[in-house]
Amino acid sequence: MGACYPARGPFTRTNVSAASTVTPVPSSNATAAAVDVRDVAYAYGDRQALDELSLSVPAGAIFGLLGPNGCGKSTLLSLLIGRRVAGAGEIRMLGDVLTPRRRERIGIVFQEPSLDPTMTVHETMRLQGRMFGVGRAATAERTARLLERVGLSDRATSMTSTLSGGMKRRLELARALLPEPELLLLDEPTLALDPESRQNLWEHLIEANAAGTTLLLATNDVHEAERYCQTVALMDQGRVVAQGTPAELKRGLRRDAVRVEWKDDPASDAATLRAWPGVGEVRLAGHSTHVTVDAASPFLTRLFSDAGDRVHGVTIEQSTLEDVYFQLVGKPISAATADGEGA
Amino acid sequence: MIRTVDAVAALLVRDLRGFFRSRSQLYSSVFFPLMLLAILGTGVSEGLDPRNIDDYTTFLTPGMIAMTALFSSTFSSATYYQDRDSGILRVLFASPHSQRVILLGKTLSSVVIGVGQALIVLGVAAAVPAINFHWQYGVPQSIALTVLAVVLLNLFLSGLGQMLASRIRSMQGFHLVMNLVLFPFLFFSGAFFPLDQLPFWLKILGRINPLSYGVDLMQVSLYARDGSEGYFGVPLDLAVLAVLAAAVFYLGTSRRAGIEQ
Repeated sequence: MGACYPARGPFTRTNVSAASTVTPVPSSNATAAAVDVRDVAYAYGDRQALDELSLSVPAGAIFGLLGPNGCGKSTLLSLLIGRRVAGAGEIRMLGDVLTPRRRERIGIVFQEPSLDPTMTVHETMRLQGRMFGVGRAATAERTARLLERVGLSDRATSMTSTLSGGMKRRLELARALLPEPELLLLDEPTLALDPESRQNLWEHLIEANAAGTTLLLATNDVHEAERYCQTVALMDQGRVVAQGTPAELKRGLRRDAVRVEWKDDPASDAATLRAWPGVGEVRLAGHSTHVTVDAASPFLTRLFSDAGDRVHGVTIEQSTLEDVYFQLVGKPISAATADGEGA
Repeated sequence: MIRTVDAVAALLVRDLRGFFRSRSQLYSSVFFPLMLLAILGTGVSEGLDPRNIDDYTTFLTPGMIAMTALFSSTFSSATYYQDRDSGILRVLFASPHSQRVILLGKTLSSVVIGVGQALIVLGVAAAVPAINFHWQYGVPQSIALTVLAVVLLNLFLSGLGQMLASRIRSMQGFHLVMNLVLFPFLFFSGAFFPLDQLPFWLKILGRINPLSYGVDLMQVSLYARDGSEGYFGVPLDLAVLAVLAAAVFYLGTSRRAGIEQ
């Protein structure tokens, strides 16, 4: 499986021109961040979508942008690919300002479906090869390899409209990887996929990353960000509110997260629970209460002692980035706001 | 440069493939003008006896060729919305080419499809015994002039279609606007009746109608005889068509800020 994505060193990359030569990349760029965003602002009319946002994505990383819908993730990705122009600030991609030519080193998988239903799988790949200046022979070789890798070899002549949702996602990924991008932007790539398809897609992404492709993932899936991303930037209202490894971000949080399901209304209000020893954040949502605690067992002992007859069920989890986000922003990621970011 | 040409060629091939896969579009675009030619040509010339028009069916043929170009460019430009809605346009705009290159590829494919369809109508009409082209400049020269008129018309109309498609958000709005543009273009172009026999105000509309110059050029090539130079004259027809084709094709392939949905 590892042989499917040819390894690239930091000083060379496969030239995507018809002549398959190797072009040296200037050493000053080789050590540059894959994405460097400084004080970027963007507004939709009078609504500020990005507000002096700054972040840096190291080359070779799997970097996650985590936040609810409408926090500016997709807007940021559209600025990075050049679909929109920032109102202020500076963006450097792979060490330099973005030009159409530079996009040949950048791939993207959009949140929304982006396949032409009147084309076959093979034609989709071939069009990508020609648009990115990949030679005919290289396109054929990479298409065969990538379709094999994503399990679509036997569907090469199928119209894309006949593929399942998971297959379409895998084809979009294979298409994005065909020019062998140094940087791959992923806008909620596993949205609406079943768990098996998600797992499958992430196997391909991790493999591409192992071959040297930097992954920048926009997601509102806490578990996905925590499990796969080496660095995560938490976003709220167009700003990065925290950035670090999942472990760094969770440092200082209470250790366990307890979700209490009540038979009817919660027996204890948030203020009461917060007053208990070892209790951190308390969130109420309908008939459930989410509590972060230093240790679950003393909390549960007291809970059952005080209100055991009203407890319907209890779930104990490790604290997640959702808890970090709540602590920093005061609202859960899952409480999605109106998006309004455009396509 | 080679990459740009290859990208435009790739988009051209893609759109042509899509056109040939859409059988309904393929057949209807050719059969509709031929059907209209048969019905109007026979019906009007037999039933209404149009005065001062010698051989109405032959007179009507250049107008039907122009109409083919008109409808073809509209349908082809509408694929912009299919591409936008399927998301493929987003992918193309994320490729290492400017938006102008992408729009150039799409507009050129519209031109090729329109020219192909118009020439099929010309070919079929030329083979029909009831249609008697006069080829007053000689067959090769008249065909060359007709092809030139068809190409210039399609460059203009495809550019116009692309320009509107990339600026109008909904396909419904696009069709409404195109209908608003198409039918006056067609009716006041001299396609159905000679411009020189119209009332003054209709002559004015005919004169400011770009399609009139294309129809006039084709009527000079195919229908006129005895050295007739047509309503406007060949040099003016060519000059107006060339300038409009160049200007509108350029605007149609121009990058537009806010091309997002």
